[in-house]
Amino acid sequence: MVDVVRDVLDKSVIDRNGREMGRVDGILLDVEPNQPARLTAIVIGPAALGDRLHPSLGRFVRRIEQWCGLDRTRPTHIEFAEIDHLAAKVQVRVTISDTAVGAIEQRLRAWVLRLPGAR
Amino acid sequence: MAEWPKAGGRVESGGLLTAVRKLFNLALGIVTSIGGFVEVGSISTSVQAGAEFGFSLLWAIAVAALFLAALVEMAGRVAAVSKRSMAAAVRERFGFHFQIIPLGAELIIDVLLLTAELGGAAIAVKMLTGIGFQWWVLPVGLVAWLVLWFGNFSVIEDGIGFLGMVTLSFVIAAWRLHPEAGQVLWGFVPSVPHHDVTRYAFLVVSIVGATVSPYLLNFYSSGAIEEKWTQQDLWINRSTAWLGVGFGSTVAMGCLVTAAIVLGPQHVKVETYEQAAQMFVPVYGRWAVTLFALSLGIGCFGAAVEIALNVGYVLGQAFGWTWGIDKKRRDVCRFVTAFSVVLLLAVLIATIGFDPLRVTLISVALTVVIMPLVVLPFLVLMNQEEYAGQHTSGPIGNGFLATLTVLGALMAIVVIPLEILGG
Repeated sequence: MVDVVRDVLDKSVIDRNGREMGRVDGILLDVEPNQPARLTAIVIGPAALGDRLHPSLGRFVRRIEQWCGLDRTRPTHIEFAEIDHLAAKVQVRVTISDTAVGAIEQRLRAWVLRLPGAR
Repeated sequence: MAEWPKAGGRVESGGLLTAVRKLFNLALGIVTSIGGFVEVGSISTSVQAGAEFGFSLLWAIAVAALFLAALVEMAGRVAAVSKRSMAAAVRERFGFHFQIIPLGAELIIDVLLLTAELGGAAIAVKMLTGIGFQWWVLPVGLVAWLVLWFGNFSVIEDGIGFLGMVTLSFVIAAWRLHPEAGQVLWGFVPSVPHHDVTRYAFLVVSIVGATVSPYLLNFYSSGAIEEKWTQQDLWINRSTAWLGVGFGSTVAMGCLVTAAIVLGPQHVKVETYEQAAQMFVPVYGRWAVTLFALSLGIGCFGAAVEIALNVGYVLGQAFGWTWGIDKKRRDVCRFVTAFSVVLLLAVLIATIGFDPLRVTLISVALTVVIMPLVVLPFLVLMNQEEYAGQHTSGPIGNGFLATLTVLGALMAIVVIPLEILGG
């Protein structure tokens, strides 16, 4: 039994290659009557954080991301089956490049690489 | 309790060279603590306190330094033990719902403070060149960005710290003015003045707000992670925190004593840095303005670089980005964008023409308002093994943090009325 709020939510997420993917900004739970809730996926991305504060804020962040032309699969969902282990950090079996987590970083990299000393 | 290296620890296993290197790093850490401590807030509040109330507010600097040193030591302990900066630890332990308030407030304070520091550095250049300060905001901001873009942590921390040694001119000035030792010592005893009690109380709260800046706490813990501190480095952390803050506060006290002796008898209310520079005249003569401008300029510039960098740190750690000033810029694009954008924003605000002294007072007041939310997490984190390991706080540490939380809450309540009545 895992306390998802204490042990999963807001923890740092590390991909298969040991790279930082972000934090667990949201969780998806499967809730059945008379059954303990089951964690089905973790969610990474500012829209998920916006949802936590207020649904309209989450929608606002999604709209900005779409306006910027970012991947429509954001925020990124990582299925429970892809979680390798839970400790101080959440280790997952996917890599950053398998998901849209790094979309903003990639977009900014195109600008950063134009500056001297960036490489 | 932090422990000194024992048999089998890194000092012995690494041999004499490691021990010497560690002692050198410690000395460097203490000396360079001036960078970031002596800046626009501490200089302006110390000058005003000295000019208006003589030595009687020395105790406020001492108490504020005590608060800061204790918090900085704890932030460094959490970083060395758990490998988490304060922003990361608060997000993980308290969640985003709690963190959004201190995080949002810290970002606003950082922008205001950065604006004031850039303004302070630009005013310093104006004092040296005679050309209006607003013309210098953009060049100062650009140089700060270049330091951040091309520099690494050592360059930023140690380089700025060494340049900051010029602020020792405050201490030398105080020494050469031969203050009466008894009167100076009485300044460390809290007292109620015979006049302008509201203004006195306002300056007490301002000194605490200018000293215990949230950015210093997160910057220090981020630095501990950048420098890969471990539990073996806890003695360095403890020594750096206490001696470094002590060293920095001595400069602030030198500033207050000099202002008290030179500006006090003139009964002037210091409202510009040009007025403040006059306190160097009896000691440094024709070099007075130059030395004051260099002290102000380098202090403010160093703090500006550290504040901008801290915005990158705090956002990177709160949102889980890859961060670090020693990493290749192409690998930390969000981090470098964060410090670049905040620097640009502060340059724009300062160029529009906000008075740096007023902006400083607002940021200091805001710092006091959020102080309980900054201190409270320490009380929880320092009692959990996940964050402090075997070095959790004892009754004295917890009592200190509880007192600081209550005092912070009281100051948060009174700061706005005091700002209106006494500011």
